[in-house]
Amino acid sequence: MTHRQQTLAAHEALELHEALNFKTLCLAKSKLMQGLVFDQELKALMEKDVQQSIQAITRLQAVYAKASFGTPIGEYRPEPILKGGGHHDA
Amino acid sequence: MTLSQADPVKMDYVDPANSLNMPEMADMTFAMDFLSRAKEGVRSTAAALTETVSPEARALLRDQLRQGIALHQEISELMIRKKWFHPYELPEQYRLDLLSAGQTLEIGKLNLFPGDTSRKGMFDRTPDEHKGGSMA
Repeated sequence: MTHRQQTLAAHEALELHEALNFKTLCLAKSKLMQGLVFDQELKALMEKDVQQSIQAITRLQAVYAKASFGTPIGEYRPEPILKGGGHHDA
Repeated sequence: MTLSQADPVKMDYVDPANSLNMPEMADMTFAMDFLSRAKEGVRSTAAALTETVSPEARALLRDQLRQGIALHQEISELMIRKKWFHPYELPEQYRLDLLSAGQTLEIGKLNLFPGDTSRKGMFDRTPDEHKGGSMA
């Protein structure tokens, strides 16, 4: 029983994966869209969504941490998409 | 930029005549996107709730569902007030649907970003590249 409380069932963890990614995309979009929107009431509503999404993501992260496949996050090192063209020192 | 009368492209983004009503059209599109995101959020959160047993996850999803429903209501009320959305006047909604589809189709045909968009030279290497980048 204690194990069940500490680790999420696999299907629950995947629901949280979906929810977290959806919220992350919504946060990015509502934030960036505020720079394009003309109507200030619409902008205010988007900022409300930004604040709510920040809260939501923070809580989702805490629960998603209990996924059985959780690993240390470490540093993000993407593959460079632009090769060459710059000068290289050292 | 030269555009002849016979040019098949109806829309020209450098022609100021096309910026008429542009802010309203743009806001209507952004609001519609925002509304459909809120709607999708409500639906997927409700679906996720029915797949979850952990009390902590359920409490979180339930709060987010309530918040999502409230936000959806706020967005739709704003859109109705601004006349961007007409749930009770379907002929008017039909008109708006086709107007925005038509306008967006025209935008879709424009060659908006003709040049190379890689922005090479601005971000030409990662800060750790001298250490071998991701292979370090």
